[in-house]
Amino acid sequence: MANISKKVSWSGRGDDRGERTPLLNGAEDGKYNRHVLNFVFQSLDYDNSENQLFLEEERRMSHMGFRCLETRRWVICGLIGFLTGLIACLIDIAVEKLAGYKYSAVKQNIEKFTEFGGLSISLILWAVLNSAFVMVGAIAVAFFEPFAAGSGIPQIKCYLNGVKIPRVVRLKTLAIKVFGVICSVAGGLAVGKEGPMIHSGAVVAAGVSQGRSTSLKKDFKIFEYFRRDTEKRDFVSAGAAAGVSAAFGAPVGGVLFSLEEGASFWNQMLTWRIFFASMISTFTLNFFLSIYHGKPGELSSPGLINFGRFDSDSVQYNLYEIPLFIIMGALGGVLGALFNVINYWLTIFRIRYIHRPCLQVMEAMLVAAVTATVSFAMIYFSNDCQPLGQDNTEEYSLQLFCADGEYNSMATAFFNTPERSVRSLFHNPPGSYNPLTLGVFTLAYFVLAVWTYGLTVSAGVFIPSLLIGAAWGRLFGILLSTITSSQSIWADPGKYALIGAAAQLGGIVRMTLSLTVILVEATGSVTYGFPIMLVLMTAKIVGDYFIEGLYDVHIKLQSVPFLHWEAPPTSHWLTAREVMSSPVTCFNRVEKVGRIVDVLSNTSTNHNGFPVVILSFLQPGKICGLILRSQLIVLLKHKVFVERASSRLSHRKLQLKDFRDAYPRFPPIQSIHVSQDERECMMDLTEFMNPTPYTVPQETSLPRVFKLFRALGLRHLVVVDNENRVVGLVTRKDLARYHLGKDGLEELHLAQT
Amino acid sequence: MELLTRFTFVSACLFAEWAVTFIAVANCSISPSEMNGDSALKLPSAVIPVSQKSTLGSFYSLSLSSTFPEDLEVNEYCTELLRIYGQRYVTFANCLVTYARPVRVCQNCYTGFNSLEDIYKNISFDKSAPGNVSCHDSLMRSDRLMLLYTLFIKLDEIWTSAECKQCLNEDQDALSNDTLYFMATLNQSLSCFEQYQRNHTELCKDCKTSYKRLNEVYGRMEKNQMLCIDLEDAMNMTQHLWSKNFRCLLPREETVPVIAVSSFMLFLPIIFYLSSFLHSEQKKRKLIHPKRVKSSSSLMNIQDKFS
Repeated sequence: MANISKKVSWSGRGDDRGERTPLLNGAEDGKYNRHVLNFVFQSLDYDNSENQLFLEEERRMSHMGFRCLETRRWVICGLIGFLTGLIACLIDIAVEKLAGYKYSAVKQNIEKFTEFGGLSISLILWAVLNSAFVMVGAIAVAFFEPFAAGSGIPQIKCYLNGVKIPRVVRLKTLAIKVFGVICSVAGGLAVGKEGPMIHSGAVVAAGVSQGRSTSLKKDFKIFEYFRRDTEKRDFVSAGAAAGVSAAFGAPVGGVLFSLEEGASFWNQMLTWRIFFASMISTFTLNFFLSIYHGKPGELSSPGLINFGRFDSDSVQYNLYEIPLFIIMGALGGVLGALFNVINYWLTIFRIRYIHRPCLQVMEAMLVAAVTATVSFAMIYFSNDCQPLGQDNTEEYSLQLFCADGEYNSMATAFFNTPERSVRSLFHNPPGSYNPLTLGVFTLAYFVLAVWTYGLTVSAGVFIPSLLIGAAWGRLFGILLSTITSSQSIWADPGKYALIGAAAQLGGIVRMTLSLTVILVEATGSVTYGFPIMLVLMTAKIVGDYFIEGLYDVHIKLQSVPFLHWEAPPTSHWLTAREVMSSPVTCFNRVEKVGRIVDVLSNTSTNHNGFPVVILSFLQPGKICGLILRSQLIVLLKHKVFVERASSRLSHRKLQLKDFRDAYPRFPPIQSIHVSQDERECMMDLTEFMNPTPYTVPQETSLPRVFKLFRALGLRHLVVVDNENRVVGLVTRKDLARYHLGKDGLEELHLAQT
Repeated sequence: MELLTRFTFVSACLFAEWAVTFIAVANCSISPSEMNGDSALKLPSAVIPVSQKSTLGSFYSLSLSSTFPEDLEVNEYCTELLRIYGQRYVTFANCLVTYARPVRVCQNCYTGFNSLEDIYKNISFDKSAPGNVSCHDSLMRSDRLMLLYTLFIKLDEIWTSAECKQCLNEDQDALSNDTLYFMATLNQSLSCFEQYQRNHTELCKDCKTSYKRLNEVYGRMEKNQMLCIDLEDAMNMTQHLWSKNFRCLLPREETVPVIAVSSFMLFLPIIFYLSSFLHSEQKKRKLIHPKRVKSSSSLMNIQDKFS
């Protein structure tokens, strides 16, 4: 018995091990395999290289200098918050204006044609307007910056996890992202602007903290100290938090988002700075919106950036409603899992067949046109007419075939920007929607949202999820009040809309802590914290049973070597010896330039870190340091050769500043010219290498190695034997390839696209 | 005695009347706080049953019998103001109730409101009153109920939420020209409705022009914020008549073209996906075999560990 249970716990299946290999999930060359790790992704150098240059610089720095540094960090965080808030404000206003023009044009047209006939023309007008907006946005994304597609949260998550996603934090990406999201929201797609806000915040942070833009080729000569991966990544986590807080008006939620989704390495001062950035960002947005709305200075004016407050008496809840909320959470988990599964297959199809930019643009346009068509058909065939409200909250109410003085209730849900629709589902008085309307709307919007996420437009999934959830949650509330006789208790379906929205969003993205706080802050109701938390927990537990969260699905599909919180379970029997790559390309302490150039130019390996060994006749040699490709390239560029040392006496010595100037886009090795004579020169790496790299013995288990990577943000980990000789090197990709599949531990392949 | 007679007639004004009686009581009941405790305790118990019976005569006799110092009494001038306030209040409240349904309050009660507002302002900005205590203080701020204030504020709120000011001219002493024009247009429509009462299809056709004009006028006034509750209510009723009673709804005639265009649109993505599935070449990936220790045997290694 013991034997069997052991087998099960290791591999998940017992007997047919002989026929199938347990670790490789059966992929041959050439055949497309979706579970691979992409070769191009590199790690960030979070671990500081404490070489002699660094020590010298630190010695030169005064006490005052360190104080200034700390102050500068705060200034940068403030700037990040301010700029993120400004961008959020820009997006808000632009979307409102553009959508306003579009909806009033379509509304006028519909009103004209309702009377005289020709509504199919209005339909075509709406579809064309939608497609036109989306086309502009999609062209910008597909042809100029494909990395601006999607919500950007998976990318930021990867970046904060320590993966260097190329081009993800560039100014150009930011510009395309902002432009794209304005187009896609104004184009009526089932998308929100919140996810892109988070990405925008991150880009702002990466840009501001560097004090220059490589896209614009402009260097402000400030904040030069922060030009390295460690600092940049800390600021990016602040930027992501600022983005969240600007998107939802949730400063604490932003900090927790950064904590939950991103920063694996965390310290208290950083948290406090991130909070500062978040707060500044929310209130910058509030300030500028208050000016825009003609009430300058009224920072606390409600309704500037949130979903409206739940503080009237009718939206109280009681203890006996908690089980209902939990049921809704489970429902949200199931629906979210369904969403993710469908979107997963759709994304695979897109990766395989729709990878040309023009096809992608066409697809986005088609989705936009179909969205308009479906919305129009729904509105046209809806018989749900409601009297116009007292305060007339619907800005673009359509009458169509309703009696005078009434409006089409389906139109409030469809003929509006998604954010406004969420707000009206939350807060419209009971009886504003028919159950049938809500049911049909949920179904239609679910399909549209699944279809839309993953298009080549920049757009987020937060708002559509909330909208789907709010719709079925409200439906749930209405049905409750009809099946129970006592009207008063279940009176307000608005709170069920809120709970449904939380359940659906939790089921899709599977965030817990941060999402609870975000929703509590965005609706301004602390009393709902408890039910929202329960609902999100239930949704996560139920959803995880079927498939992982949407962002993780997309990270996997992009083949990013992502390190999760912990090593996969049942991996203790794997040791560093099996995990590492070997043999390792090493350099000697004093190495020939020709060899360095050759190794760096070898495109098939593309290594980034090289252990430096003491020259010896024994193979392999004893380790004495680690040097990075980027450092070698800077050294080659400045021609720091031993033979030149005498003639270079007049020159200044190479400083850390030279490395920082080249950061982050180190030139490729091909662009550095090394003549035949120079190839014969020698290069002394002692001064520049990291003299104390982390090493582990060969018998270290995988979880132990994993913990080192995760906690210290390592990029390379040298595996040595008992005489300190280099036998292998562990990198992120070596670790990320193991994951727990259905048949126990599985191994992913490396692939090149 | 004038108050008393009104009281029996106008049941709707009971509330206001009551208030007027009570203000004096309230006034009395706070002043004893500055006197010795005995009479302060006695006074309310003596007064309240009297006021509940609403017999003003006995109230006056009682209040006379209680001995307030001269300077705490409400002086005659203020009592006069109070009386006028009460009268006007009753008139205005009466008017509001009379014209509550269908709502005609703005057209009919603006004079009442203006006069009430005048007297209220008189009381509250009264500085020239003879004697030491101004009427504002003695009438309005002597007790925690502050009845005159509360009563006025309630009615003022009603007046504001009715947005009557938007229907009146700048001096607030007559209906504005736009309102009169709207009412003329409304009457045209209504008389047209009257005419075709029998035949609804005829009505829908023939009254359409006047009804549409009414809608236009209303829309324009709405945009300029010149509507008050009277006009809104009148318009609401007319719309209800038009849509619900006469059933002059727009026919849903274009179902076929809408379905055709929609299904064409829905068909497009299917074609798109099919064609890209059939014609686009699949993206291929090249697998890379990283260097491993005894790379071929690493699997065997694991297998060994299993068994």
